[in-house]
Amino acid sequence: MASVHESLYFNPMMTNGVVHANVFGIKDWVTPYKIAVLVLLSEMGRAGGSAIGLLERRRLNQLLLPLLQGPDMTLTRLYKAINESCPQLANSVQIRIKLMAEGELKDMEQFFDDLSDSFSGTDPEVHKTSVVGLFLRHMILAYNKLSFSQVYKLYTALQEYFQNAEKKAAAEEAEMDMTSPEGRLVGTLEREDLDVPSGEEEISCSGPLSQKQAEYFLSQQASLLKNDETKALTPASLQKELNNLLKFNPDFAEAHYLSYLNSLRVQDVFSSTHSLLHYFDRLILTGAESKSNGDEGYGRSLRYAALNLAALHCRFGHYQQAELALQEAIRIAQESNDHVCLQHCLSWLYILEQKRSDSCVLLEHSVKKAVHFGLPYLASLGIQSLVQQRAFAGKTANKLMDALKDSDLLHWKHSLSELIDISIAQKTAIWRLYGRSTMALQQAQTLLSMNSLEALNLGVQQNNTESFAVVLCHLAELHAEQGCLAAASEVLEHLKERFPPNSQHAQLWMLCEQKIQFGRAMHDGRYHMADSLVTGITALSSLEGAYRKAIVLQAQNQTSEAHKLLQKLLVHCQKMKNTEMVISVLLAVAELYWRASCHTIALPVLLQALALSREYRLQYLASETVLSLAFSQLILGIPEQALNILHMAIEPILADGAVLDKGRAMFLVAKCQVASANAYEPQKKVEALESAILNLNEAKDYFAKVDCKEQIRDVLYFQARLYHMLGKAQERNRCAMLFRQLHQELPSHGVPLVNHL
Amino acid sequence: MAALVSVAAASMPSVVASGTCSDFSDLREIKKQLLRIAGLSRERGLQHSGKWASELAFSLAPLPLSELPPPPPITEEDAQDLDAYTLAKAYFDVKEYDRAAHFLRGCKSQKAYFLYMYSRYLSGEKKKDDETVDSLGPLEKGQVKNEALRELRVELSKKHQARELDGFGLYLYGVVLRKLDLVKEAIDVFVEATHILPLHWGAWLELCNLITDKEMLKFLSLPDTWMKEFFLAHIYTELQLIEEALQKYQSLIDVGFSKSTYIISQIAVAYHNIRDIDKALSIFNELRKQDPYRIENMDTFSNLLYVRSMKPELSYLAHNLCEIDKYRVETCCVIGNYYSLRSQHEKAALYFQRALKLNPRYLGAWTLMGHEYMEMKNTSAAIQAYRHAIEVNKRDYRAWYGLGQTYEILKMPFYCLYYYRRAHQLRPNDSRMLVALGECYEKLNQLVEAKKCYWRAYAVGDVEKMALVKLAKLHEQLTESEQAAQCYIKYIQDIYSCGEIVEHLEVSTAFRYLAQYYFKCKLWDEASACAQKCCSFNDTREEGKALLRQILQLRNQGETSTTEISAPFFLPASLSANNTPTRRVSPLNLSSVTP
Repeated sequence: MASVHESLYFNPMMTNGVVHANVFGIKDWVTPYKIAVLVLLSEMGRAGGSAIGLLERRRLNQLLLPLLQGPDMTLTRLYKAINESCPQLANSVQIRIKLMAEGELKDMEQFFDDLSDSFSGTDPEVHKTSVVGLFLRHMILAYNKLSFSQVYKLYTALQEYFQNAEKKAAAEEAEMDMTSPEGRLVGTLEREDLDVPSGEEEISCSGPLSQKQAEYFLSQQASLLKNDETKALTPASLQKELNNLLKFNPDFAEAHYLSYLNSLRVQDVFSSTHSLLHYFDRLILTGAESKSNGDEGYGRSLRYAALNLAALHCRFGHYQQAELALQEAIRIAQESNDHVCLQHCLSWLYILEQKRSDSCVLLEHSVKKAVHFGLPYLASLGIQSLVQQRAFAGKTANKLMDALKDSDLLHWKHSLSELIDISIAQKTAIWRLYGRSTMALQQAQTLLSMNSLEALNLGVQQNNTESFAVVLCHLAELHAEQGCLAAASEVLEHLKERFPPNSQHAQLWMLCEQKIQFGRAMHDGRYHMADSLVTGITALSSLEGAYRKAIVLQAQNQTSEAHKLLQKLLVHCQKMKNTEMVISVLLAVAELYWRASCHTIALPVLLQALALSREYRLQYLASETVLSLAFSQLILGIPEQALNILHMAIEPILADGAVLDKGRAMFLVAKCQVASANAYEPQKKVEALESAILNLNEAKDYFAKVDCKEQIRDVLYFQARLYHMLGKAQERNRCAMLFRQLHQELPSHGVPLVNHL
Repeated sequence: MAALVSVAAASMPSVVASGTCSDFSDLREIKKQLLRIAGLSRERGLQHSGKWASELAFSLAPLPLSELPPPPPITEEDAQDLDAYTLAKAYFDVKEYDRAAHFLRGCKSQKAYFLYMYSRYLSGEKKKDDETVDSLGPLEKGQVKNEALRELRVELSKKHQARELDGFGLYLYGVVLRKLDLVKEAIDVFVEATHILPLHWGAWLELCNLITDKEMLKFLSLPDTWMKEFFLAHIYTELQLIEEALQKYQSLIDVGFSKSTYIISQIAVAYHNIRDIDKALSIFNELRKQDPYRIENMDTFSNLLYVRSMKPELSYLAHNLCEIDKYRVETCCVIGNYYSLRSQHEKAALYFQRALKLNPRYLGAWTLMGHEYMEMKNTSAAIQAYRHAIEVNKRDYRAWYGLGQTYEILKMPFYCLYYYRRAHQLRPNDSRMLVALGECYEKLNQLVEAKKCYWRAYAVGDVEKMALVKLAKLHEQLTESEQAAQCYIKYIQDIYSCGEIVEHLEVSTAFRYLAQYYFKCKLWDEASACAQKCCSFNDTREEGKALLRQILQLRNQGETSTTEISAPFFLPASLSANNTPTRRVSPLNLSSVTP
């Protein structure tokens, strides 16, 4: 208990129990690094205009600002920086510092005494109110304020600073010597060993950081967390750094916030809450200057504290708690008339609303308000949410695209690159929802090959955001659908690299990968494999998991269990208004009915699915439904009718559908042709059968693409029969032989051929 | 461990020649040991341990001349170092540590060596405290540390490995390790120290500070001596295991330490911790009579006086202590409490600040300061003070509770839930946190959770007796009249069983509700009994009378009228069957408990 360091207690800046933040805000404490910069300035002054060339002078001037405002750096790095702009000055600075550090205390005192001379005189070298002048005056003032023992300490610190640089230089020299022929191998080996720690040193300073260094470290890590998580420190090491930082500077509230973000990364609800609240407790102090609950001061931070807490609970899926916290934030914001905060609250409110039900009244209201208060970010975020909701609600594509286009205008105007990315990702998703794979593909590629605005601004590649993950996942799924499994797995590999398993958006690709694998397993008839994947999918999305569980059960002929599960799922999805899933479930139910040979019962189910998918314009599902419908009609003995509706579906399927679906569609067409040919006169019948054979060939090609052997086997069997009917013995025998090969490879399940779609 | 002990013990035959007995059968022997160790501690400048031992020795019966312990034998080495030691001890006593260390350099005897190392350690500590005041800006202030620690650790660990350290040396080594935040190593070393020199209270006390929970305590292998009993009692108090602590202290008193002011004060503190205010107060008063110039623990005493709002007593205590020594932490704290009771909160905060300046390690002052700022409505300063308290000691439940209260005042009931829950975690059986939690849930309209909290608060023993009323009112709101009535009945029973009829405001409400409840249930006897009770309270008198009239009317309409009214308040049989509160403490299981 008593081991907590004593800085907490002896706090000369504390009055009335509050540590005044602005006192800590003073960053102008004299440090050895600052002395080195002062030496540089005075050398520049001494050299005058003549000694340094114009070009060098300009380079030096450019260097000065970052030196004055940046964090403290080591002496060697400072030398290097000066050396790059003006070698001769670097030399003289080095000599001055050496003299001062190896001399006596009075040298430093003398130096500071001389500093003020630069202002005096008729034609001063430095103007008093210039940037450099202000810096000089700050430093002189800060130095003059130091007590005797502090001055002495500063001097010893300077000596240490200098000696460290010397040591490093000496070590480097020694290393240079090592590279002489005989010691070469050893030298390189050792250097490699040395490189590792020095590389780490760059990111994380093990000792206490100065205020500016700490600020720099925090803002760097925070922006990395936001934009490119893989480049940030790993959660564990970042936490270690933060703990270290807080140990030496417990008043650094921002570190707590970063620690909160870091805990979010690893989904640690306990420590993230702890850090968040700690941050706001601390922030309240620093903003305590004005005691009013007004715009500034701690009333403001209180509101945002509650709001952040709501966000935290929302992220962890505690919607009820989130709502309570949000109510609190709203109430406080209302009491103090903070419209901006209220607006933020409102946008969170509709997010919450979305999670729990789907009314978009709030959302529309929020967008209007946000536009009114001139918060473009929130406004277009709102529009995007609105579009998403409308898409699920079955609004037409042109309206949605219009809305997105309008918000895009806003984004480009305000350079909200993050939102542009989201917008494109959303377009991809919407096109996919509508079953237009080509358009989706195109949008996905647009985002991936677009140069982010951020890249121009900061030099940070902002490509590890959620939108990229979404787009890449879509891309992988699209490729998988088209049978390009190698490409899909390559995309997934890339995803894994970009979003390592413990990062925020890793769940997206995990789900996507397992879905693809599941699809493969089902096609290949490896049901046990599929079954084991179901658990993984359930962990990530219970709905998808349940649906897939039912499919596996169905495939394993456990129909009653499958039926039970599907009914439950249906009710749940209808309640959640997840139309996409409802239609899928309906299709699965219909399939169950055929398996029980109850095609008449399947028909109304299918019609319901068709109506739904038409209403919501889910073209992909609509075509699938039509396929099933046609199949049922075929079985019920009305192949002509089936052919009619198939014509409706075949076009979109061939244009946008998955390869497997294309194959199934062609196969079905062929079946229908054959079935309806029975009624024809012989000449026409032969024509019909021949065209069926052609269709079957096409289907076979499609199946071959996705390597669906079972289907190929069926097609071959069918083709053989047709050739037989047409009396083409040679072709028949070829097909029969191929069939036999495949049949030996694959065990037969004994399901009649005709009972398959 | 046994082998290690025997080796180390062999190196210091003088101190524990006779060994320490494991029980209290021979008080004379104990007294002798105490006197001896007091002398040894004093010789080494360990004033607090010496003081403790002397105090305890004083409480035992005096020894006859023949049995007085002989002065410790002087070895050859001691004789060699005697001059240096004498000089250094003199310097040490006037706090010239560096000078003392200088003259002790190279001394071989254990005593001189200890004093040498100890003065180096103290010199480092002193310099560190001085440095902190003028460091080079805020950047450096966290970096100030005792420079001597590292060197001391290296030297001591060498000696430790060579098994050349005696009990005092081990103690110092442990302290150095603890200061370097090497807690695990420090614990091991302190345990070793207690094995070699069980009489040295300082080592035990350090161990107390390092042990954070009961589990840790279980896994320590401690020497089997009578000192262990004192240690266990002390640590039970620290770990809030008050029942066990009180038992231990009682048995110590029974054995013959009844006069020890140390034990008396510890018992008083224990009673304070379980909020048995009256007992604690009487014990403290007794203690003040025995030891009128005592300053230790007087801050706890003042807390008690504060809680009972005993202004004159507190004022007397404050003035008295101020006369004795006004620059003591405890004195400042008492004065702070005094001002707080007089509602002069600025001055109170000032005194708590002064206490912190006098001893930065004094934890309670931060929390108390927080309370003062709360009183001054300076919420941000209060939050800061509480946060400081938490940073110093994460287990300070009062600070968590205070933070919760602050946010509650700021009308953020959801936000403060977190803080109350932290406080509740630390003190699971304290009804105040539970009631506070319940109130927050009530404000958030989470009535189910609120009910759970209130019931639990009642079940763990409600201090303020408000949980039941609140529970009853909740049931009333939810129109669960049966449960509401039961709660009111239990509440009334509780109040009356207490004996002292404090003017409880809610008693009348309870009776009024019960009267109406029975009236609705057509239990005329009970209804009229309750209505009559109502008449004895000012605010419900009229209602009571009106209800009585109504009952009379209805009864007259009914066929029989039993005019005799059961004089005392009785419960209907169905309810009284389970009226002894079951007090089953089920897991609280709040649905919305996240972190």
